[in-house]
Amino acid sequence: MLKRFLVPIVLVVVLVMSGCVKTKSDVEEGAKPGNDGKKDLSKVQVELLGMSSGESDLNIVRDQLVKNGFDVKLNLQPDYGSFKAQQDAGNYDIALSGWTTVTGNPDYAVRSLFKTGGDYSIMSDSEIDSLIDQAGTETPDEYQATYKKFEERLVFDKAYIVPLYTSYKTQAVNKDILNLDSVRLSKSRSLPWEEIEFNDASKNATDPLVLSQSMSTLTSLDPIKGNDGSINIINTNMHVRLVNLTDDDQITSEGSLSLNHSIAEGNSEYYFLLRDDINFAKVDSKKAVDSGERVGADDVIFTLNRAKDKDSVPDHRTYTLHEHIKDIEVITDLGSLETIKQSGSDETVKAALEKGLGNTINSLVDDKTKANSEEGMYQVVKITTTEPFPQVLNYLAHQSAGIVSKKQVESINTFDVASFDVNKDIPYGDQNTVTEGSQYNNTLYTSGPYILISKNDYEAEFQKNPGYMTGTKHEPKISNVTMRFIKDPDSTLAALRNNEIHLFYAVPETKYDVVESDSKLSLQSIESNAVSYLLFNTKNREVSESEDLRKAILYTINQDDFISFYKGNKTKAFSTLSPIVKTGNELVADPAKAKEFLNKYQETK
Amino acid sequence: MTQIEMENKQALKPKSQMKSDHKKILKLSPEYTQSSFAWITSLALTIVFLLNCFDFSTKTIKPFAFSAFLAYSLFTLIQIGLTVAIRKDILTSGTIRKTTRKLGFIQLLGVFTGNVFVVSFAFNVIKEKKTPEYMFAVYMVMTQFFIIAISSLNLFKPYVSNTFLLAMTLLVAILVFQLAATLLVAKHVTNQSTKRWMTWIAIPLILTAATGNLFALILGYGLLMKGRSNDLSRIDKWDTMWGKITRNTTATLGLFFIIFMFSISVCSNFTFDYSMAVENNYSALLQPPSISYPLGTDDFGRDLFTRIIFGARISLVVGFISTIIPAVVGGALGAIAGYYGHRTDNIVMRLLDVLYAVPGILLAIAIIAAFGANITNLIIALSVGSIPTYARTMRANVLMVSNYQFVESARALGSSDLSIIFRQVIPNSLAPMIVKATLTIGGAVIATSSLSYLGLGVEPHIPEWGNILKLGSTYLETHSYLAIYPGLAIIALVLSFNFLGDGLRDAMDPKLD
Repeated sequence: MLKRFLVPIVLVVVLVMSGCVKTKSDVEEGAKPGNDGKKDLSKVQVELLGMSSGESDLNIVRDQLVKNGFDVKLNLQPDYGSFKAQQDAGNYDIALSGWTTVTGNPDYAVRSLFKTGGDYSIMSDSEIDSLIDQAGTETPDEYQATYKKFEERLVFDKAYIVPLYTSYKTQAVNKDILNLDSVRLSKSRSLPWEEIEFNDASKNATDPLVLSQSMSTLTSLDPIKGNDGSINIINTNMHVRLVNLTDDDQITSEGSLSLNHSIAEGNSEYYFLLRDDINFAKVDSKKAVDSGERVGADDVIFTLNRAKDKDSVPDHRTYTLHEHIKDIEVITDLGSLETIKQSGSDETVKAALEKGLGNTINSLVDDKTKANSEEGMYQVVKITTTEPFPQVLNYLAHQSAGIVSKKQVESINTFDVASFDVNKDIPYGDQNTVTEGSQYNNTLYTSGPYILISKNDYEAEFQKNPGYMTGTKHEPKISNVTMRFIKDPDSTLAALRNNEIHLFYAVPETKYDVVESDSKLSLQSIESNAVSYLLFNTKNREVSESEDLRKAILYTINQDDFISFYKGNKTKAFSTLSPIVKTGNELVADPAKAKEFLNKYQETK
Repeated sequence: MTQIEMENKQALKPKSQMKSDHKKILKLSPEYTQSSFAWITSLALTIVFLLNCFDFSTKTIKPFAFSAFLAYSLFTLIQIGLTVAIRKDILTSGTIRKTTRKLGFIQLLGVFTGNVFVVSFAFNVIKEKKTPEYMFAVYMVMTQFFIIAISSLNLFKPYVSNTFLLAMTLLVAILVFQLAATLLVAKHVTNQSTKRWMTWIAIPLILTAATGNLFALILGYGLLMKGRSNDLSRIDKWDTMWGKITRNTTATLGLFFIIFMFSISVCSNFTFDYSMAVENNYSALLQPPSISYPLGTDDFGRDLFTRIIFGARISLVVGFISTIIPAVVGGALGAIAGYYGHRTDNIVMRLLDVLYAVPGILLAIAIIAAFGANITNLIIALSVGSIPTYARTMRANVLMVSNYQFVESARALGSSDLSIIFRQVIPNSLAPMIVKATLTIGGAVIATSSLSYLGLGVEPHIPEWGNILKLGSTYLETHSYLAIYPGLAIIALVLSFNFLGDGLRDAMDPKLD
């Protein structure tokens, strides 16, 4: 019985099913050749290098490449150290890279990355070099066109990089504890701690402000010896600079060592009128005390001279930022300021420097201890650049230009730089001198609102500088700051929600929902200067030789996929300049073009 | 003793003793214990569905979960009724009445709700005299049915793989054949023998095991043996061992789940589309479970259901191979050490002790960090660390077995050492090794997932349960299903291996006889 009906039943089922079921080949008919994850020898293999923190981006790139006929080999490294080692060894075709322009000026966004011989540059293209140099001397109105040309050469013509997206900068704040209005979020500038206050102002003097950071090994507390995530925020809050950046990356004297600054005609001379109400802080038996030494012109000159000099300290990491500084001098001749006009205006430099001051400038002094703003006695510092270079002010606002004490640094760094022995000599700012234990010997002299008392693997403790702009609105509100070192963002978020920390900087996109659904937290967000891009290997690889192959990859990448993956929390980018200069360039994914370039590449092979 | 007499006798006893007598009688009935197990697990599942069918945030009832709840509660209620009926039958007449057994056919319908517990009970209750072959046949059909059911969920996807229709037709045809074979087995196979012509069914049955349905293989082998062999002791041994395992409900369900997972990993090659598990789909990011995405999608828009199905393959392959390698290597070393003794023993075992002193998972992490993360290295890393434990087990057994008389007689007959080791000693020391291996596969599955979770396993886009779980852990609060389902899959597979291992130990350990 059963068997007699079996065959017809099966046949009918198959017929009915095949009528209404679409198979994969039906759907893909006429479309690109399918990819079933199997290896095809004719496919071009590319090796993709990245860190596991960029796993999501790597997966999107991998997916797009695979869908466009590439065979992708992933080289996933657990941390930056191993990533860098792989990159230096050249074990990649494409490396997932990121760049944040912490100074907020376009020159920094391109010089060290793409110019021949730049700090992080692996390429050499004379046209790119000349465009970078040309744009550096230009004003914002002029450089827009130059940078547009530069971008076109970098991406469209040569395909040295493939831009992915621009990120937002976010922080989550516990608004039940902190006064939300006092917590700033700036595009480039690090968070100024001195402005933050508790909702309950009576706690400012007693309770510590608890922040967090992922890295517990601090590169160096000497501002010029580090430029990375482990010390940028710390050094910014420990050292005052000649100028600051506003939240949207404009130059300002507000909250800096200068009361006013002015650019003289010709864009090569820069004048700064110094404050007289900042003293260096030092640590005495684990307490921050006023050293009694004022921050003055001699410290500025000493700081900037060592900042631009490659050989001033061993392992100098930031001299390229300051290579445009030619001379730094203190001005004592008040008359000279009255004759020089300010750039782009009829006002004299003196008038510009006096703007908003209670007292006019009566005289200029050489000795910092004699300066007295009440009596109109001031110090003025003049910086001359090697060529007209208005963006120098952005570099002066960077943490590496933080003012250090001439007296103190000279008394610590007594060794000879050329014969520096890492086992014997202890340079100023060495993190071991502030780490709890036998080597503890805190010799820091800080000009900023806070000073680091001590640290261990779990946290660092800061106290306010008692001699920092006392009585002004810039005097630090909260007396004690604790920086917790929490490696993993998930744990950091948990700590924030448990009131263990008060603020979480750089919330991952996947956690926005969680932060927003927590009533005591507030998520602040601003466009940042952080750009992610793919960098091609420039040596000994197919991609380094073939422009066609690079372009095939360039047109494969679809930025919209990244934006939808991050739920709109990323924006399009064209180069590392994108967040700073609006050039109007846009990369549009074009599978047809990608195919065309890939075919071209395969023909020439 | 008539019934009245028995009742009279019971009436004389104090109440408490009567209760414990009842307990003893009921404990002796496998059907009763299975029935209790079935209604308890079924009730637990019903409660899970009940809790899931109400959306607390929007205060609405989810239709799908609610209908599942209704179906499960219906079968749970029938099951409770059946349990009561069986209890009454046993306490009054000592056996289960035919009419009660007939009620089991209703519970067979539970197969359409996916309720394995109720169905496996139903198969148990409808046949009074159960042979191991009957149980294999039943589980074979169940495996096949669930494979088809799970695969046909793909029909709700935008498209299916190119081989889907052909594969499904074949699977259905195999199911029909296996159903017919099951009926024949139920009718013609007894504990001692079967009709000779049954062996003609056995061969195609063994062929259907190509779908990964290993029940068909075991059944076919059993039929062949019973139909052809005249070696009664061998048949008896077979019946005793498998009888013990099939009477153990948890062990059988464990075996069922393992074979089901194995079979679906084979069949998914043809019925599932791999691209859905690895290719990103930005138009379907983080979708909650629905009919076209039964377990939802992850943050790259990949179908979680397909990913878990394909993930089973890696977990099983790595789990099996990384158990077999140390079992073979450690087994051989242990056998040599145990058989030769003295200096050989000392050298081999002390060297292995050195290896034993290194924590297994640390060794695995070190190996992967040094040689890179891929499946081969993963298997090697997990294998090396567990060699010493197998060597120890094997050595202990060999020490015992080599003193038996049959070994001495073999030696007296002039057999070589090697032939004694491999012909006499090892086969007789295998049972504890098999038990140990089964119990450690679960551990290997967990180790694989742990390493992937730590980012030391396979590449992140490859569907592997640890990888899926890792991704899900990021979304624990907002999209918890991304972590729950792979977690459940790992738990179920490891639990199954543990249950099966326990069952095997009970069946093979002579001390428990």
